[in-house]
Amino acid sequence: MFKYICKRIVYLLITLLIIVTTTFFLMKKLPGTPFDAERFSLLSAAQQAQFLEKYGLNDPVIVQYGKYIGNVFRGDFGTSFFYTGQPVSGVILGRIGPSALIGLQAILIGLSIGLILGIIAAWRHNSGIDYFTMVVAVLGVSVPNFVAAALLQYYVGLKWGVLPVAFWQSWKSSVLPSIALSFGVTAMIARFMRTEMLDVLEQDYIITARAKGLNQFKVLMRHAVRNSIIPVVTILGPIVVNLLTGSLAVENIYSIPGIGSLFVDSIKTNDYSTIMGITIFYSAFYIFVVMVVDILYSVIDPRIRLASGGKGE
Amino acid sequence: MKKSKLLALILAASMVLATSGCGFTGTASSAAASGPAQSEGTAKTSDGTITVYDTNEIRTMVQWAASDNNSFTILNNVSEGLYRLNEKHEPEPALAESYKVSDDKLTYTFTLRDGLKWSNGTALTAKDFVFSWLKQMSADATNNYSFIMTDYIVNGAEYFDQKAKAEDVGVKALDDKTFEVKLKQPTPYFLRLTVLPMFFPLNEEYVKSQGANYGLKAENMIYCGPYTLATYDPASGSTLKKNDSYWDAANVKVPNVNVRIIKEQATALNAYKSGELSRVTLSSSDVPAMKSSAEFSSTSEFRTTYLQFNLTNKAVSNKNIRLALGYAVDRATLADVVLADGSAPATGLIANGMFGDGTKSFRELNGDITTFDAAKAKEYWEKGVKELGSAPSLVLLTEDDSVTKTVATYIQGEFKKNLGIDVKIDSKTKKAKNQLMDDNNYQMAVTAWGADYDDAMTYMDLWTNGTPYRGNYKSDTYNSLIADAKKQTDDAKRLQDLLSSEKTLVSEDAVVSPLFYRGFAYLTKPNVENLVTHPFGPPIEFKYASLK
Repeated sequence: MFKYICKRIVYLLITLLIIVTTTFFLMKKLPGTPFDAERFSLLSAAQQAQFLEKYGLNDPVIVQYGKYIGNVFRGDFGTSFFYTGQPVSGVILGRIGPSALIGLQAILIGLSIGLILGIIAAWRHNSGIDYFTMVVAVLGVSVPNFVAAALLQYYVGLKWGVLPVAFWQSWKSSVLPSIALSFGVTAMIARFMRTEMLDVLEQDYIITARAKGLNQFKVLMRHAVRNSIIPVVTILGPIVVNLLTGSLAVENIYSIPGIGSLFVDSIKTNDYSTIMGITIFYSAFYIFVVMVVDILYSVIDPRIRLASGGKGE
Repeated sequence: MKKSKLLALILAASMVLATSGCGFTGTASSAAASGPAQSEGTAKTSDGTITVYDTNEIRTMVQWAASDNNSFTILNNVSEGLYRLNEKHEPEPALAESYKVSDDKLTYTFTLRDGLKWSNGTALTAKDFVFSWLKQMSADATNNYSFIMTDYIVNGAEYFDQKAKAEDVGVKALDDKTFEVKLKQPTPYFLRLTVLPMFFPLNEEYVKSQGANYGLKAENMIYCGPYTLATYDPASGSTLKKNDSYWDAANVKVPNVNVRIIKEQATALNAYKSGELSRVTLSSSDVPAMKSSAEFSSTSEFRTTYLQFNLTNKAVSNKNIRLALGYAVDRATLADVVLADGSAPATGLIANGMFGDGTKSFRELNGDITTFDAAKAKEYWEKGVKELGSAPSLVLLTEDDSVTKTVATYIQGEFKKNLGIDVKIDSKTKKAKNQLMDDNNYQMAVTAWGADYDDAMTYMDLWTNGTPYRGNYKSDTYNSLIADAKKQTDDAKRLQDLLSSEKTLVSEDAVVSPLFYRGFAYLTKPNVENLVTHPFGPPIEFKYASLK
């Protein structure tokens, strides 16, 4: 297991380097400079050169790349162009918290409701609750989260005044965005769980378990759910990355200082150092989560072995 | 069982996050700022707090790096210049109590008020102006605003290029209370420049002691304006507290101000309705429903959106074609019906209300030089087509934000209706559009300029360089008018030069065709009074506001 993880970490670093390199050169193809074009064009050629020189933007792209990679290895991600003088690592760290919190809450809500709905729907196949689950699933997938966000804001926030309309002031502020984000997760998890459960419930070992005289709950929990949950863990990887790294629309609607809007803004303003910082963060996080999901497989299902040294339960 | 361990891990992780990482910005400050009892409705804004918002992040609090309105708004309220704009947008004495100007109009001597203090108790002296002005005139200034000093102050440009020493630059502290500025040429609007954030003082000792941390957080700054910063977070906003050591603190009536960041128009409106905001800006589509409300008002800014023609492009190098395109757009309908957000139809390049001769505005003095006339448009178009040999195919370059796209689509329709031509729209991101213009790779573009200061020169100076961005316009007549205006000591003659230069640029040479002056329609809570919005420079002024 340990050897396997080490190997994965080496791959992680190589993948990361490839992503960083590609992004760096693509980013330099963006039109314009990080500076306000209208004012920048008012400067004399010498002043413009002096300015670019100051930020090392006059060097050939390959030299800039070399310098950047060197700095990154020393743990220096540079300072933001847009937020003049603020270190990129600080800007990103400050924005991860809100996004991660609402993402995590959305996953917890979505996971718990989705799993319960899925299990019950499969157990009571073709019953009222099954149809209800399917309606919820279709709605959850097809209604975009920003629509849900706007509706929740209007009714729960403004009309009923139960929770804050927007802003990031206390834990209460995180409830509506979390719920808005959770609809999609609930729907997806419920559908996956139902489909898998239906499949598993047909299996011989379920009949065996029932024949042994186990009660319905134990059959479901110990035998059916355990075996149905693997595909759910698979899709959980991308969902976790998606949600924990922020959602532009929901963050904007609730005026949350999250990382989703930072990424989009940094690209719009050619904030090179921030673009790179977020790219590194996103990709490292993604690769890491994929690795964790792979490891989780073995925990849930002893039949899946990671490497020769891997062991199950 | 492993599953329960996993669950425990997730829960633990979420608790760590909830307690440490997520940084709720409002809690501490709002509790401190607005007291314990927050109820629904307008009550929230009547507890001594005004809450406004910006649609973009507050980029920086470092004044030599700040170039955007959001940063200017905060800086202007936590700091102050020699002069400050009053409720009528005219400069009035602030940190300076008076000034004297020499007969040749080249030397300004400012006398500072007695007993001025920074928020940390340090005395504020003329040296603080010398330090900050030199900083703004050095290569340290990353806001690209150095020109606003180096264009006027003796040896400023040379100092920027490191060809002159600090002591040769025309800014001197004669004693602690006397600050002397030497100008290269007479500048009748010089006082109106000193209200801008670039001209605010900085304490050398303090700034140097903070090093690279200066301005990054509220505690890394000292203040001399009506307010101090209690918290500053670029992404979620700022909270301001009344500055008790401000010289005019007795006249600052609102103790707390929140500036939030809201990017979504609908969110802002909901927040306003729920009592979280004192004022909200309306989008065009909301205006009709709100117009009759007592809370409604609108204002237009010193910001002109115009069509820029590229004179080196064959199709629009023909003056008759340019005149035809200019006459073909009904600007009143554009501003009043299409935009309907407080914007005003352009009747010239210089916006309504900008300084003229002291009694009449520039616009009133120069009259309507941009007009809509469908018959003339048709006539000029036919003349132009004859000269070119065939009707040119036209492409209009615009930015991809919704307002500019609306404007471009409207213009496209006007060209179709009044000239019978099909013009293509090329919609690009702001950066890409500016790059195309800089690269001389466009025909005509919808572009805009906001006044840096309250004088026509802030616009007219732009077309003297002949850059592709300004349509490669090179005219000796125009350049000599501007050059003369710059060194003219007679204010009346100077004004005449500027009035003529606008006519040359807009009606005679038709290099640009002004479209509208940007406006804002907004709602303000009935308990908020005198929340002044300036049409240029630092937009929102909290000093004069009061709460009923």
